[in-house]
Amino acid sequence: MSDDRGSEGPPPGLEERVTRPGRLPGDRRVRIVGPTGGGFRRRGGHFVATADVLTARGRIGQAYEVARRVLIGRRLASEQEIAERLSVKTGLAIMASDNISSSAYATEEAMRILALAGTAALALTMPVAIAVVVVLAVVVLSESRVIAAYPNGGGSYMVAKDNHGVLAALVAAAALLIDYVLTVAVSTAAGVAAISSFIPAVADDRVLWALGLVALLALGNLRGIREAGVLFAAPTYVYVASLFALIAVAIFRVATGDIPAATPPRDPFETGGIEALGVLLVLRAFASGAVGLTGSEAVANGVPNFKPKETRNAITTLVLMGTMFGTLFLGLTFLATTIGIQPDRGEVETVNSMLTRSVVGDGTLFYYVVQIATAVILLLAANTGFTGFPRLASVLADDRFMPRQFAFRGDRLAFSFGIIALALTASVVLVAFGASVTSLVPLYTIGVFVAFTLSQSGLVRRWWRLRNRGWRISMAINAFGALVTFVVLLVVAYTKLVYGAWMVLLVMPLIVAVLWSINRHYTAVADALTLTDVAEPLPVLKPPVVLVPVARLDRAALQAVAFARSISPSVRAVHIASSAESAEAFRLRWQGWTRDVPLDVIESPYRLLLQPLLRYIEKVDARDERPITIVLAEFVPRNWWEWVLHSQTALRLKLALLFRPNTIVIDVPYHFADTGHAGRPDDRG
Amino acid sequence: MQLKRILVPLAGTSVDPDVIRVAATLAKASKAEVVAVHVIEVRWNLPLDAILEPETERGEALLDEATKIAEQLGVTIETELLQAREAAAAIIDTARERGTDLIVLGMPYRRRLGRVYVARTVQDVYVGAPCAVLAYRQEESK
Repeated sequence: MSDDRGSEGPPPGLEERVTRPGRLPGDRRVRIVGPTGGGFRRRGGHFVATADVLTARGRIGQAYEVARRVLIGRRLASEQEIAERLSVKTGLAIMASDNISSSAYATEEAMRILALAGTAALALTMPVAIAVVVVLAVVVLSESRVIAAYPNGGGSYMVAKDNHGVLAALVAAAALLIDYVLTVAVSTAAGVAAISSFIPAVADDRVLWALGLVALLALGNLRGIREAGVLFAAPTYVYVASLFALIAVAIFRVATGDIPAATPPRDPFETGGIEALGVLLVLRAFASGAVGLTGSEAVANGVPNFKPKETRNAITTLVLMGTMFGTLFLGLTFLATTIGIQPDRGEVETVNSMLTRSVVGDGTLFYYVVQIATAVILLLAANTGFTGFPRLASVLADDRFMPRQFAFRGDRLAFSFGIIALALTASVVLVAFGASVTSLVPLYTIGVFVAFTLSQSGLVRRWWRLRNRGWRISMAINAFGALVTFVVLLVVAYTKLVYGAWMVLLVMPLIVAVLWSINRHYTAVADALTLTDVAEPLPVLKPPVVLVPVARLDRAALQAVAFARSISPSVRAVHIASSAESAEAFRLRWQGWTRDVPLDVIESPYRLLLQPLLRYIEKVDARDERPITIVLAEFVPRNWWEWVLHSQTALRLKLALLFRPNTIVIDVPYHFADTGHAGRPDDRG
Repeated sequence: MQLKRILVPLAGTSVDPDVIRVAATLAKASKAEVVAVHVIEVRWNLPLDAILEPETERGEALLDEATKIAEQLGVTIETELLQAREAAAAIIDTARERGTDLIVLGMPYRRRLGRVYVARTVQDVYVGAPCAVLAYRQEESK
């Protein structure tokens, strides 16, 4: 270290170069006192903070670190991001669980509507299922185009922004954000419902259970996307494997003429029906079955989550997802209609449960495997929301439509802020709707079809504009996709409007307005702060007018006044006294100490400190055009719990001055250790 | 001989890990301090305190590596990064200034014109050092 530290010279940095003499004049050497082993290392022309700087020093900090490491895991550096990406195997589990899990209830939802027209109308379930799968095929084909065209993710939002403009993009974003929140809420509510089928006591505290599950999922996702994928992969594959096995066994039995006897529902629908079988009813059945299309946008939204080649892996995942859902959905629907399963009006037992019981028998191990796997995957479907929401929020934050915090990656490279925000919002929704699946489902799926329609129509415009090779086929696919998803949107919105979809249609424009105003704020701030010309010279400022509020004449005050004098010759101290006697006593004591720093003593007969002080600052500031600087002496106790023993006037004053324009506030902390006293300090203001 | 301070000049060659192990083993036995030093030789057309980013980065990295190797053997070492016109003079002056008892030099096995080649810095330190010098020549196979 150089000996002249503290005097004139360049300020110290991380690295110091000290010239040492040698035996001969030519043997001088420069000793580089660098940050070796000190938490920083050099890379190119800059320093890199190493993991050492994260080591907590205090006991509380260390305890927090341990707890954080146990719950979230060890911190990951940005360069480890590539290792955190998803393979097709984990990607399918983490992004497709929502879509695949829909096969657990899509058949039943369609049957439930058709059954209103009598049990004979259930024969239409298969055509409805085929229509849903055709739409899914169109969606998968179109989404694969989205992935190829927009490999940086963002899905419908990016497509709409690029081709329809900002407003449409924000509508798509708002729709998706709502849908992700609802995915989490509906899935956890459905998961709790599935658990309560085994343990009825759970139903009494279902909101608490749902909140607990949301917290658990949030924690899993805070551990990073790859780890979440590993955690959630097994249940997804167990579900898919068990249902494929069920379908295979059932089809074999049907093909060999050994058609199982249908398990009757406990509360069957009326044979004659209560509604006429019309186009509208079939459309409603289609809209209910279309619930299975949710979740397919998550892949296009999160392309950068995949390992290289991202686009190829994302498209493979999307196609596998569509194939799995389509096969399961058609297989289950075919079997349910062939065997003659009818939905239970009282919603006590699911169609899939009755189908499984019919095929493999009641109480068998296989039956329980299917049921438990179904319950778990319904719960994990929420994970699609945890993957999609933070990623979309980060894209929006990058575009300055959401607070910047949403773009920051946490300790495990996950978008922690988005994960926590999603968990909190979904929790509010769960509490508001009492964790009831029936109340939440009508709100669902509208958002996703708004986004689909916007992205499909956006791609139509894109192909028309670019007209590159094969544009006609691509445009035809996307035009068909746009038409189909728009029709589904109208059907879903119309049939679900009175059951709660109006809330979504009300909230969506509100979110768009909020996103828009956030962007306006950021644009205004950027306009005010952006340095247009980097060659602009440093502004030369006059030394400021410095005011030092002094509660009493002690070491802390002395240090603050000394610091104030070091930055400006115009220093004035101010003291607020609660009585005429104390005012006079302070004035005399001050004069006895120094006459170099002028003092204003203000008597405050109402014993208030902040208000007279703030008004005083206002008056002084009005008399001079130089920026005003307030230097505050702040006593810092030895232990955190000793804070409560001090009135923390400096803290309150700082808060009061934070929003005052043209005011600089400097805090001069005076640590108890600096006093050199072993005993207790006098209480300071 | 009771050692108190050992200086280990490191040039960033393949012999460095072996030299550090030798120095650490000697230091452990006699509870001596170890100072690992790397000298960046600055060309005469540059100022002595010129900022040489890649060389400094490399020097810090190899000193960090030496610290890790020594720590594996249970020895904490001090490191010093220097810039000088000639490495040998800087090593000798540092040894003198720190009151070093022993300099452990590493010699990577190299042949030139059919003979084992001893670099100029090693020769100069060997000749000019104010203290004992231990030269560790790398095995032929390495």
